[in-house]
Amino acid sequence: MRNYYWILLMALGLFALAQGDTLPGVVQEGNYAPGTLGSITQPLPASSQPDSVYSVGAWPTYTPELADGPGKELVQGYCQVCHSSTYITMQPPLPAATWDAEVKKMINTFGAPIPQDAAAQITAYLQAHYTPETRKP
Amino acid sequence: MNISKKLLERALGRREFFRRAVGVAVAAGLLPLARGQTSAQSSEGLPSFTGPGANPYWNGVNPFVTYPQKLPLLRLTDRGIQLETPRPYFRSPFTPNEAFFVRYHLDLIPNSIDLASWRLGLEGNFDKPLAFSLDDLMKQFEPVSVAAVNQCSGNSRSRFQPRVAGGQWGNGAMGNALWTGVRLSDLLKAAGVKAGTVQFQFQGLERGPGPQGKGSHAFMKSLDSNDPVLEECVVAYLMNDEPLPMLNGFPVRLVVPGKFSTYWMKHLTWIRALTKPDDNFWIATAYRIPDTPRGNTTPAEASQVKTVPIGNVNMPVRSFIVDPDGSSKLIMGLPSKIRGIAFSGYGRVTQVEVSADDGKTWSVATLGTYNGPYAFRTWEYVWKPQKPGKYTLAVRATDEKGNVQPDQGVWNPGGYLWNKIERQEVVVGTAS
Ligand code: HEC
Repeated sequence: MRNYYWILLMALGLFALAQGDTLPGVVQEGNYAPGTLGSITQPLPASSQPDSVYSVGAWPTYTPELADGPGKELVQGYCQVCHSSTYITMQPPLPAATWDAEVKKMINTFGAPIPQDAAAQITAYLQAHYTPETRKP
Repeated sequence: MNISKKLLERALGRREFFRRAVGVAVAAGLLPLARGQTSAQSSEGLPSFTGPGANPYWNGVNPFVTYPQKLPLLRLTDRGIQLETPRPYFRSPFTPNEAFFVRYHLDLIPNSIDLASWRLGLEGNFDKPLAFSLDDLMKQFEPVSVAAVNQCSGNSRSRFQPRVAGGQWGNGAMGNALWTGVRLSDLLKAAGVKAGTVQFQFQGLERGPGPQGKGSHAFMKSLDSNDPVLEECVVAYLMNDEPLPMLNGFPVRLVVPGKFSTYWMKHLTWIRALTKPDDNFWIATAYRIPDTPRGNTTPAEASQVKTVPIGNVNMPVRSFIVDPDGSSKLIMGLPSKIRGIAFSGYGRVTQVEVSADDGKTWSVATLGTYNGPYAFRTWEYVWKPQKPGKYTLAVRATDEKGNVQPDQGVWNPGGYLWNKIERQEVVVGTAS
């Protein structure tokens, strides 16, 4: 009777060890969580012909949304003729005067055909969302 | 649909939380240069922008994206295309083509080129204007190779204080490759440069929808006809012994050793001998630096200061810490390899020094193989931390002309010529 009791205690002890709370040094284990940063699919190889033409597929665009607010459609319309709006969203928060100068530069230096009234609304939009005081994450 | 929207909302919520956390940390002075792009966690993303303070990260904060012939790179802009190379690719002295950074200005760039009709034309003030097929270039001229660093003028622009508009690059708008092709001077000789030529203009297949005569219509650059760099220029059809990726200028690009990338015309298709100085936007207005020591000025003086094309100078000496990147704690008493790259547009890097105390004391690092005066030079220094704690590593390089990296930043409205000493914070833990 006494012998059996002893064996049972030993078995219990081994079981507790196997449960890991005494694995040497391990502070935490088995911590999984759904990934939040996203995955990127690998591209499939593309076929080509043994001729003189060298081609790649379409250039993919990855354009984040502009901030919502009055003037957004004007920016989408007038400011994406030569480049995408990533040129706007990539910038650090810029002072209001800098945005005014950028819009003027697009019109005067680069020849963006933007009517005065629309340009004023575009500047106001950029100042309302993309300055140190107004930019939101 | 519903689930992904929920995930997005959650991601945005987390990002905002993270931004606030970072804001607090910066205010408390806990986040010096430069945090790694790899991290000991992978659930909180970087903020989507930095500023008005300086970008504290090694690379810019932009997301990974995939483009034809490229591994995932960091997207600054998607049309025109600007992609930054992530830090770990700089562990090797030659930057892989599939990770090499991309910088276009305009959005009309080729997806497909027929070499049966593509020609490199030499026109303008030549005795005998010529047009070469790629086959002609390969067969009629002696091939030459040069290892050279291609670095964007605005590399590290996100370090500027105050911040300036433009591509918000971290340190990854650079790369080193072995460029093989024909000497520009051989082509010029073949066409015969006529007296009265003051500049050579280079144009590739990069256009935009803007009006004729504006910078938004075409991208072109020029070099003075008496610039000694012309003798070193190569019209390259191989990059690291492979055809150039489309995004790096297939079928040929101009290689201008020691000078910033803006002159390294991609998809080079026209070389023009000019009898009057080029007055196109990209040389007369853009890519200009103050004519001052280091191209330095202040916001107050910027509009009055005399400027010159950035091609008037070579790339200032720089060095970068690639490892450690802060994503792992180092272990007290265990040797750690501090390693990275260095280069200078003024020639051979002669010394790299490493500091483990934020630049108070310096030790000389071991230099890797010499691949030529304009290539990356790898370096390493074995450091055995003797006490646990936080350390700020720093690195500075010296070139053969005696130029040493300064510990002051530079400021100019274009965001050019950054070469301040780089730093990396690391944490050392105990081994028992
Ligand atoms: C006619 C063509 C054109 C239009 C239209 C245009 N841009 Fe641009 N924009 C350019 C070019 C060219 C650049 C320089 C691109 C480069 O260097 O990568 C540029 C660059 C920029 C930059 C980067 C900073 C700089 O000055 O280089 C910002 C910001 C910008 N544009 C905002 C705008 C906004 C806002 C609008 C709408 C009001 C707009 N753009 C419309 C041609 C245009």
